[in-house]
Amino acid sequence: MTTQVPAAEVEAGPQKGSNYLNSHRGFWSWAGTLDHKRIGIMYLVGVTLAFLAGGVLALGIRLHLWQPEGALFEPDTYNQVFTLHGAFMVFMFIIPGVPGSIANFVLPLMLGAKDVALPRLNLASFYLWLCGTLLAIVSMITGSVDTGWTFYTPYSIHTQQSVVTMGLGIFMLGFSSIFTGLNFIVTTHKLRAPGQSWFKMPLFIWAIYSAGVLQVLATPVLGITVLLLAFEHIYHIGVFDPSYGGDPVLFQHFFWFYSHPAVYIMILPAMGIISEVVSVHSRKPLFGYRMIAFSSIAIAVISFLVWGHHLFTSGQSEFVMMAFSFLTFFVAIPTAIKEFSWVATIWKGSVALTAPMLYAMNFLIIFSIGGLTGIFLAALNVDIHLHDTYFVVAHFHAVMMGSVAIGFFAGVHHWWPKFWGVMYNETLAKISAVLILIGFWVTFIPQFIMGSQGMPRRYASYLPEWQGYHQVSTVGAIILGAGFALMMGYLIHSLFAGKKAKANQWGGVTLEWHTQTPPIHENFDYDPVVTHDPYDYSQLEEMKGKS
Amino acid sequence: MTSDSHAAQASHDGGHGDHSEHNDHSGHHVCSFQLFAGVFFALLILTIITVAVSRFDFGGFNMIIAMAIAAVKASLVMSIFMHMRWDTAINNIAFLSSILFLSLLFLFILADYSTRGDTDPILATPSMQMKPAEYYQHDWSGH
Amino acid sequence: MSEGHHDLITIPAPEGFVPHQVAHHFDSVEKEFQSCKLGFWLFLATEILLFGGLFAAYIYYHDLYPESFVEGGKLLNWQLGALNTVLLLASSWTMALGVRSAMLSEKSKMQGYLFVTFLCAGGFMVVKYIEYSGKIAHGLLPGYFFGLEPGSVYAEALGHLPYPNLFFSLYWTMTGIHGFHVLVGMILIAWLMVGGAKNRFHAGYYMPVEIVGLYWHLVDLIWIFLFPLLYLVP
Ligand SMILES: [Cu+2]
Repeated sequence: MTTQVPAAEVEAGPQKGSNYLNSHRGFWSWAGTLDHKRIGIMYLVGVTLAFLAGGVLALGIRLHLWQPEGALFEPDTYNQVFTLHGAFMVFMFIIPGVPGSIANFVLPLMLGAKDVALPRLNLASFYLWLCGTLLAIVSMITGSVDTGWTFYTPYSIHTQQSVVTMGLGIFMLGFSSIFTGLNFIVTTHKLRAPGQSWFKMPLFIWAIYSAGVLQVLATPVLGITVLLLAFEHIYHIGVFDPSYGGDPVLFQHFFWFYSHPAVYIMILPAMGIISEVVSVHSRKPLFGYRMIAFSSIAIAVISFLVWGHHLFTSGQSEFVMMAFSFLTFFVAIPTAIKEFSWVATIWKGSVALTAPMLYAMNFLIIFSIGGLTGIFLAALNVDIHLHDTYFVVAHFHAVMMGSVAIGFFAGVHHWWPKFWGVMYNETLAKISAVLILIGFWVTFIPQFIMGSQGMPRRYASYLPEWQGYHQVSTVGAIILGAGFALMMGYLIHSLFAGKKAKANQWGGVTLEWHTQTPPIHENFDYDPVVTHDPYDYSQLEEMKGKS
Repeated sequence: MTSDSHAAQASHDGGHGDHSEHNDHSGHHVCSFQLFAGVFFALLILTIITVAVSRFDFGGFNMIIAMAIAAVKASLVMSIFMHMRWDTAINNIAFLSSILFLSLLFLFILADYSTRGDTDPILATPSMQMKPAEYYQHDWSGH
Repeated sequence: MSEGHHDLITIPAPEGFVPHQVAHHFDSVEKEFQSCKLGFWLFLATEILLFGGLFAAYIYYHDLYPESFVEGGKLLNWQLGALNTVLLLASSWTMALGVRSAMLSEKSKMQGYLFVTFLCAGGFMVVKYIEYSGKIAHGLLPGYFFGLEPGSVYAEALGHLPYPNLFFSLYWTMTGIHGFHVLVGMILIAWLMVGGAKNRFHAGYYMPVEIVGLYWHLVDLIWIFLFPLLYLVP
């Protein structure tokens, strides 16, 4: 009964040398593309620009704090600068970063699929990201948002109306994130290659899947929260405003019901990247595959039970605080399982100190400190002292910047040859990895110390006693900036003058390394069947024989 | 790759739509007209009950009763109108997990609200226990 | 095995219907159907959580100001609320029948059921309009616009209570966002009827009818909870 007709849109077979980059040409072949690889590349460009914007703002903050009374901005401007830094980095870079760009490109390839399950939704998700980002920029031009990225009420209700524009931007960014996560969940369920059972999936997929669950289940609450915040501005709905009978603590509950799981929306995909990179560059199957897989799911579930640790000084009930503090400690278990498994994977592996591996090692070092300082903050009594100090700032930068951003760049370096078919200058890449590690610690160790001494966050000025620490921190930020500038330099240079990459640059065995580099428009010129475990490197000989 | 099994199945099920007990979880189940009509009728009756019980004062139980009836109505709509009874397990999990996680939001928010000031000897003094409603009195005659 | 790769699958249609072409990255229409449906169920989950935030706020303030909520609820017209409940339940029923007809390739029946669903939805919005105009006339508006005329029955009922504005804020916001979903649903149902007129939906391909149906039942589902919470405040 079934008739098979030649495809209308799919060109007649790939010619030699054809790949997804050159198979279609022109502006609309990109702007209207349904190809997950091209959407991934557009995301990559977009989130990298957002990262650069957020990074420039961060440098502005650090330079301002060179002097105790502030060197650059008026206090009001300073408030806007750190708000935009936070909002850009969180909503426009870190959350969509790995899922939108790297996972979009790599996930269907790893599953042996021709595309994500819902390509139109994928494109819609990119445009929602774009519109959300543009709205945020509009809010910046037409007014100013000075609430911090957390938009706490009641201040955010009584400050400028541009909070509404920013809020709607974040609503869109939220739904962009939801659609991305939803798409990956469906793709993972429905489009795995024959033979690829759940435990034959690369761990990157497990991580992206777990993050997808969080994106779908947590983000809607952020959506309704920013919507209600907009309503507070438009007609004073009052649910977050004490002068209309509302309770601001309710806002914090809503906000952190999303934003704590959001931390795992950020870190889980980065953890997935580290699993891939550590295994491939140690040429060794991952230690504790199932433990890492289940710990991803465990992190996703536990993350819904701990949001109250952000409200320890906000006036919530003491009973609930104790419960939240107790539950927060549980997050340490699955994260430690992952950290130990990665280290055990490297142990006695044939480790190649390539650029992606160096970035992954940066992740392992910084994440262990970021995670352990989290335990300090989970402890109710310690947190009362450390709440809203630079200790918190340094802690979440160790996780968000030192782990997620560095994990993201580990992935970018790992799959760069797959994306473009070219290699960057590896020597420069190694130098930048080392610069970033040094820059990171020089920036944030003084902040840990200042925080433990009580330096509050978000202040435009500080006591002169802290000037030395602040200046060291600023020097560190400049080193970090230099490292990232160097990275941008050699990555962009490689696009124009990079050496041609090998088909399988690092000797990976997951499905994305089985296909041509860069991949053809249809991903595979055969129907992939999975017969091996995802990190079974004995396949390498076979693969060489084929090509 | 042949793909007519789906079309064939749909028409097969359509041949006799009266077997609502028929246990297929393919997501292509065709319910009988009578079953849908019965569900609609049940929903109407339950709506009348909702209105009727709201006339009586059961104290704190009014909320529980109203929500229980609403939950019965909702589960009728979900299982029959939305075919969840015959749908695949993963679709059911996908949807029901939202209710599970939503209950976490409710649980902790209400736990917070209902135990505020319970353990702190200072906050437990009567003046501090007043809820915000008692602090403020607004004059609602225009603004 | 690799031969099917560059060919698209077309699903044959019963006499008089348009055949459906499966998207290139699926190897069967069943996979396409199940993928879209799982995706849509996940979307419905996000809708539940989105409304869930509003319900959480409702429960919270209902606990905080029980009297204001009970007295505020008495000022809503429960008869109109009940009428709307019946309209939505009926529309849910006809929608379920519409999906059934699509599965059985009964085009004219499907179109008829969809049309009745559309009418019920329209009726719902008309009743909503009548209700809203009454509330506007009496100053029972959300938040900042809330204002009771001194000496009126409304001032009598609510004037001495703490923050009655919150009940009406939540009433307007919850029914407003729900009403927005009804409007979106009406557009989707109209879109289905256009597709139906073009003979696109049949036993071999009824996925759009199915998922719009699911969406419509969700709108009904949310109203099932809104009705007792707002009109018959317990
Ligand atoms: Cu947290």
